[in-house]
Amino acid sequence: MTAPTLETLLGDPYDETNPTGHAAVLAADDAGEPLAAGEAVLDGWSVNAEYVPVALGGRLADVPTLIRRLRPVFRRDAGLGLGHGLTTLMAALNVWTAGTPEQCRRVAGLLLAGERISVAYHELAHGNDLARNALRAEPTSAGFLLHGTKQVINNAGRARAAVIFARTADPAAPPGGRDHSLLLLDDLDAVAGLTRLPRLRTSGLAGCRLAGLGFDGAAVPAGALVGEPGTGGSTALRSFQVSRCVTAGVGTALLEAALFGVYRFAAGRILYGRPVTALPHARYLLAGAFADLHIAQAFTHAAARSLHLCPAAAGRYAAAAKFLVPRLVEDALGDLAVVLGARSYLRTGPYAFVGKHLRDIAGLSIGHAGGVSCQLALLPDLPGLVLDEPAAPELFGTSPLPPLDFTALRMRASRPDPLLAALAPALDAVGGELAAGVRVELAELRAAAGALPVAERGVTAGHRSLALTERYAWLLATSACLNSPHAGDPLWTDAVLERIGLRSGRLGEPRTTTAAEAAFAVLTDRAERGRSFDLDPEPVVRTR
Amino acid sequence: MSLPEHTRPPTTADLVTWLAERVAEYREVPVGQIDATVPLAELGLDSVYVLSLCGDVEDTWGLEVEPTVAWDYPTIEALAGYLHGELAAGRP
Repeated sequence: MTAPTLETLLGDPYDETNPTGHAAVLAADDAGEPLAAGEAVLDGWSVNAEYVPVALGGRLADVPTLIRRLRPVFRRDAGLGLGHGLTTLMAALNVWTAGTPEQCRRVAGLLLAGERISVAYHELAHGNDLARNALRAEPTSAGFLLHGTKQVINNAGRARAAVIFARTADPAAPPGGRDHSLLLLDDLDAVAGLTRLPRLRTSGLAGCRLAGLGFDGAAVPAGALVGEPGTGGSTALRSFQVSRCVTAGVGTALLEAALFGVYRFAAGRILYGRPVTALPHARYLLAGAFADLHIAQAFTHAAARSLHLCPAAAGRYAAAAKFLVPRLVEDALGDLAVVLGARSYLRTGPYAFVGKHLRDIAGLSIGHAGGVSCQLALLPDLPGLVLDEPAAPELFGTSPLPPLDFTALRMRASRPDPLLAALAPALDAVGGELAAGVRVELAELRAAAGALPVAERGVTAGHRSLALTERYAWLLATSACLNSPHAGDPLWTDAVLERIGLRSGRLGEPRTTTAAEAAFAVLTDRAERGRSFDLDPEPVVRTR
Repeated sequence: MSLPEHTRPPTTADLVTWLAERVAEYREVPVGQIDATVPLAELGLDSVYVLSLCGDVEDTWGLEVEPTVAWDYPTIEALAGYLHGELAAGRP
């Protein structure tokens, strides 16, 4: 049980000679290439095994553990984490959700052998409008003939296999909900009529090899079908719930790393005759980003645990976390850039990675499901939420989780909302003015959502209706924080409540600095003891 | 959990009437214009309406259904028959 962690293997990011440190990561990013030394570390550690359920011979036991194990990668390079293999997980999840036992064994075998699988949903012409995806899988007596193109697909140029989202219904028929199916192509090089298309370059996640797959009458066997014909959409909407939680969770690692970097910078830099950390504004920005990190992690923790503990509602929490968390991380990184000052704009030096993280988080925000498409997934649910059964304390703690049951995840979450239902009792326990403000917000959201006409619950919704989903997501995040074991500390609770009030636009800047100063003291102590700033701190290898 | 408001189990005809009322409400047309034998898609029910309808089914009948039922039972008559079978089987 003393296998080295990725944190140890990836080593001190501030060591300029470290082939997986910040300097090497930035050089690869500037060259637009994957970090080869990083990929070698991940392969050596068999990161793919983290994506394979234990029952199939891998190490995937529960989603929060997966997120925690991947954090060291994302602290250093989101492009490495996503580019090496997180998209392989996204592809495999479809097979774990809907594949036959034989398909699951085959895909587990591919992953454990270190192969990559591309996840091919995207067509540039249709964005997140999955129902309009045009790539056609025309049924034949032997299987399917594929016609069409997938674009912006990670590793399309080098993956061994791919999971393809394809229209199997008659293209002339009116659109329905059974138009698409998923196909598993386990050896792309053996598919005649398949072309790997040129790479597409991106402003962030620059080391990711995004490309396309073009099909011109490519024949694939009937056995490639994952699940029944016409179930592509429902499989996608269930497996996305897992990948949304994972993406949101690993995205918080970018903020953790930047927070340390900027703290390190501020503690060592002398301005106006004192370290920058002695300047109240800088300390306030650092403490605020620390609170942002904890809010983001409390929320993703509860969302990830809900996949195991309340799967009927998990789709809502996954969509809300995928929408809110990357945006909160991006806002916090923006604040940290203010402390860095002019250095935040440099592409060289020990803090250039903060700018890279800012470019990369935008990609994580867009990737796989854009923010607005997550908001649209939430909107139809808001009018009817049932709040009479609060979540059990296990949703917020660290008790062992039952295995993930993909069949228990639902396309449409059921009415009972255990996470939101747990908010009111937690507010009662906290008391005070800040809690009273949240109680009013909860009542107002419920009233506004209840009055939403049906035409305002879909893509034709106006900005005011869509804004309700943001308020809902903030209330979920609030519940996750107030029910977390950390809420026993009143200063921590005040800090996150003040911060949520500010970030959600409900409150202005706090009147006192008590909570921020307490947070800054914790931050300093963690930095000195080599502990991460995470809500659940872990040892970190980095030069102070 | 909210309990169904109705004490008597609904007949298929009750469910046809109830579904037609829901569709009429969504489409803002008189219920008399709703044909229970025409595909829901032709009645103007897109995926958003279907999600709302699933919510109404859960609220009124205590039955948790996935939006795919509207594609597998694509008319009001077919959907009513399916819902009746599920309610008779006592499935949540």
